[in-house]
Amino acid sequence: MTLASSASPTGPATAPSVRQPTSQWSQGPAVPVVSVLVALLLGAIFVLISGHNPIQAYAALLFGAFGSPYDITETLVIAVPLTLAGLSVAVAFRTGLFNIGAQGQLFVGALAAGWTGAQFPDLPGVVLLPLTLVSGVLGGAAYGAIAGWLKATRGVNEVITTIMQNYIVVFVMHWLLQDGPMSAPNALGTPASSPIGAGAILPIIIPNSLVPLSRLHAGVLLAVIAVVVFWFLLWRTSLGYELRAVGLGARAAAQAGIDPRRRMIMVMGIAGGFAGLAGMIQVSGLFHRVYDGFSSGFGFDAIAVALLGKNSPIGITLAALLFAAFQRGGTIMQSNAGISSHLIEIVEAIVLFVIAAETIVRAIASRRGTPAEALA
Amino acid sequence: MSLEVLIGAGVLATALRLATPIAFAALGGVITERSGVTNIALEGSMIMGAFFGIVAADKTGSLPIAIAVALLAGLGLAALHALASVTFRADQIVSGMALNILALGLTSYLNYELYGTTGTPADLPTVPPLVIPGISALPFVGEVIGKQNALVWVMFVLVVVLQWFLFRTVPGLRLRAVGEHPRAADTVGIDVRRTRYWAVIASGAIAALGGVFLSMAISGSFTDNMTNGRGFIGLAAMIFGRWTPVGALVASLIFGYGDALSVSLQGQSLGDLRFPVQLLSTIPYVFTILAVAGFVGRSRAPAADGLPYESEGH
Amino acid sequence: MTVLLEMRGISKRFGDLQALDKVDLVVNEGEIHALVGENGAGKTTLMNILYGLYHADAGTIRIRGKDAHIAGPRDAIALGIGMIHQHFMLVPPLTVAENIVLGDERGGPVLDTKAIEARVRKIEEQFGIVVDPPARIEDLPLGLQQRVEILKVLYRGSELLIFDEPTAVLTPQEVDELFAIVRTLRSEGKTLILITHKLREVLAVTDRITVLRAGRNAAELVTKDTNATEIAQAMVGRELHEIRPRQAVGTAPPILQISRLEALSDRATPALRGVDLVVREGEILGVAGVGGNGQSELAQCILGLRPVVDGTITVGSVDIAHDDPKRTRERGVAYVPEDRRVEGLVLPFTVADNFILGKQDRAPFARRGVLDGATIMREGERLAKEFDVRPPNARAIVGTLSGGNQQKVVLGREISESPRLIVVSQPTRGLDIGSTEYVHERLLEQRARGCGILLISSELDEIRALSDRIAVMFEGRIVATLPSAEATEQRLGLLMAGHTEATAAR
Repeated sequence: MTLASSASPTGPATAPSVRQPTSQWSQGPAVPVVSVLVALLLGAIFVLISGHNPIQAYAALLFGAFGSPYDITETLVIAVPLTLAGLSVAVAFRTGLFNIGAQGQLFVGALAAGWTGAQFPDLPGVVLLPLTLVSGVLGGAAYGAIAGWLKATRGVNEVITTIMQNYIVVFVMHWLLQDGPMSAPNALGTPASSPIGAGAILPIIIPNSLVPLSRLHAGVLLAVIAVVVFWFLLWRTSLGYELRAVGLGARAAAQAGIDPRRRMIMVMGIAGGFAGLAGMIQVSGLFHRVYDGFSSGFGFDAIAVALLGKNSPIGITLAALLFAAFQRGGTIMQSNAGISSHLIEIVEAIVLFVIAAETIVRAIASRRGTPAEALA
Repeated sequence: MSLEVLIGAGVLATALRLATPIAFAALGGVITERSGVTNIALEGSMIMGAFFGIVAADKTGSLPIAIAVALLAGLGLAALHALASVTFRADQIVSGMALNILALGLTSYLNYELYGTTGTPADLPTVPPLVIPGISALPFVGEVIGKQNALVWVMFVLVVVLQWFLFRTVPGLRLRAVGEHPRAADTVGIDVRRTRYWAVIASGAIAALGGVFLSMAISGSFTDNMTNGRGFIGLAAMIFGRWTPVGALVASLIFGYGDALSVSLQGQSLGDLRFPVQLLSTIPYVFTILAVAGFVGRSRAPAADGLPYESEGH
Repeated sequence: MTVLLEMRGISKRFGDLQALDKVDLVVNEGEIHALVGENGAGKTTLMNILYGLYHADAGTIRIRGKDAHIAGPRDAIALGIGMIHQHFMLVPPLTVAENIVLGDERGGPVLDTKAIEARVRKIEEQFGIVVDPPARIEDLPLGLQQRVEILKVLYRGSELLIFDEPTAVLTPQEVDELFAIVRTLRSEGKTLILITHKLREVLAVTDRITVLRAGRNAAELVTKDTNATEIAQAMVGRELHEIRPRQAVGTAPPILQISRLEALSDRATPALRGVDLVVREGEILGVAGVGGNGQSELAQCILGLRPVVDGTITVGSVDIAHDDPKRTRERGVAYVPEDRRVEGLVLPFTVADNFILGKQDRAPFARRGVLDGATIMREGERLAKEFDVRPPNARAIVGTLSGGNQQKVVLGREISESPRLIVVSQPTRGLDIGSTEYVHERLLEQRARGCGILLISSELDEIRALSDRIAVMFEGRIVATLPSAEATEQRLGLLMAGHTEATAAR
């Protein structure tokens, strides 16, 4: 974990290209598509070796994710927070920062939303829901901004800070919900907070008459709005321009008057906000209270989603859908075809690894030597 | 709240036990980062060691073979990381994360395949405790370290060996040079790549020992994700311990003590309130952030850590 | 006099740039040989080839008459060649002794610190170069660090020592100490090659001189038979541009006044040691000097990119020395930085986006934080046409443009706001003739408009063609300021190379 490359006053020194694919050949969906295909292929080989039928496995996967309307809604239920977490990671990548803290920011947002929702149970939905939403977003934003502030003022590598922050909030959450101020009894007997007021609940948007047992809530609309906000922020606002400039040309931005340090704090706050929203949605739409240790897999998946989606709004949405399908299909695959759902993790890991290794080609392409060497 | 709960022999013994896997990971981290490569896949190497050691113990019934297989598994994962990071100069964080997920997924998958829902078999050969007659008879100390597992002692020895290796041997000197100023090392003819490869692979083997400790010394079984983040805590300990083996040990002991305290203080009260033991567990992480931010002394990584090395010109 | 080293017909190309073109170098045993030339002449490239860090495209190397194949530093070291790099190859947290023996520790795997330090002390005694072996490099001043670099090379039994710009980071006293060491080494039978552009040093310690210019041989001289003027002429060459006739400036009010400016370099050494200069409205002040004498730092201080340790920088009537870049720009200061790809442009952005860099938060490009894409594109197209960007496509990614067109984008952005002061650094580096002339035309246009221009360049022709007055920068100070008409090539060359004004004004 290096401090050296992050302590430069003019901002992030070199963001490795896999986090910010900008070179000519790496434009477009070729690399992500190839990496997914390679991963699926290797996964199939693996399934074969372990004595199962890969076609059966992948069929179960596909079926489980999209086979029936109910399955589709379940996939979407996973895709919603995953998309938001992916946006969180991606917006930071755009400024050259690595936000590994989406999970922790999600938890903080969930806790904040859960507290607000439960604190004022009698307020009408028209007031309580926005209040809950705002507290979730702000909670996550504040948590993210801490990492940004540490980086901007003391040059602390955000990778280290955010990983540590993830752990810290997990334990704080344990305390709050197990026997701390937020804990409340519930039917399952697991550590959780008080239920949020009815006004804070995100309603199910597909009526039970159409799709029985559907859990798909209005959070999906919020996710869509968030994707649009992400796009608008980065490509239609001055701030977004500045964030991208710092990410792609920190020194040029600095000499033009854009202070990278302030932007770092800002972008980590925004990133935290997206993740906090994800947490709020899980509470308001799905669980209606905060369960200890819920929704704990989104952080790392979000990084894969952002990288696979190349930090772009459509790419992230598609990647999130893909990974959500994997997750949903995986549980069905396990129960129907008897193949461990952990196969999904293996496939995801290979996808990430192939993306990381895309720099091979870039390294080879750039080996021709530079004129800078010669100016001596 | 009695003193016993805070520094009783039982607590300290537990602290040492909990610190050991963390220390193994931290030691592995020290070696790789000193050579200039960030390896966050130590968690992955750990779980690989934990799982494949159990499998080998089950299939061969031989403890030495099981340990050898465990080391190979952890080392193999690290070799993939070395390939990506050193040869292909890939993003070391992403590669490390990918391999972590791969290791966790792979071990869980194979666990399900081999042992289904019944779990790993009982009565597997395990690493025994090491009872040193002279020490275990001592009143307080005897309880703390007299009956610890043999691997705990291996860990101590490893600390000494690695400390000596890094600071008192020629290969250690070269390794440190590679991590601080790879170009300088290159210009005097040191093979930067090969040095880094060895360091990363060694780190995988060391971390695997931590996994062996978890599955084959303490519990005698394997459960999915049994490392539970200890690889990452190990990295925190490495940072907090300022990238030295002895520092990593001290930091691991502190973190282990915090862990042990949170168990020991469970159910205790502070006046009217329940003692917030969970908050104690946050202390290692908070301290690490403070250390890296320079609020608690200066914690500085090797200068070339995490940056891929490109040999110039040609 | 036996020939120790013969490099014949060495050529090396980096992409588009022919760094060396059939260069010869002959060095006799036991002599101190100077390899001289301006920045970019090819001196370091040639020596990097000798030391095995680069491979030549063509040419031969002979050591004592035998062909030598040098694939890497190990081969060079085996042949008795040692390099004292300009940027030291020392590992800061390790000790002096450890750095010296690194890679060639001679002994078992165990680090025998006492034995190593004893060996180092022996060599120190033999050559009279003293540094405390157990000291850590990071605690030593640069002058002592350099001694460690020298000892490293001697420890490996080098017979041929290459010094790359050895005095770049030294104080005058340290330079004298270095010269004493250099003379001792010669008396011990070593052969030395000194890469330098400082004539004072060349005349002080060397025996023979090879001058390179733009990647080719320019002259071979014997030190005691030549003088500073002759060397400077060979370095600088005789390519003359037409000096354009310009109206006399008269005494317009100053737009930029710099007084006693001090600042540190990235390596925490003094880069600016008390710079004084004035730029008037409607005037081009050229700052001439070989790169590395503080020019970059000067530009950065003015723009607010580098902290000012002491002194003032006044634009109009306001001291901007401690302002951040945004504030400085608001005062009407424009900047064409020396590395357009890294400092001037965001390469993956479009041409239009680069035109608004720095203006992205104000009207007409943005209203209340929201960008007006249509206006940005329109302005981008207008500027692309006006500034002759080829092709004039505002949507093109700037990274795909040629160097000349990239520079036009930078110029367009900086000039279109009608600044009061433009700081321009190496504006035509790497540009073709057409683009170069275009840049020059626009700068003269701004001058005619009443803008003050601070032109920093290592290209003497450019300085002489454009400037009204010329200030010469050397080792962090302005050593002389002359009206352009009085600044002959020879005079400038001498000043740039550290020769004092007294002798130059002869």
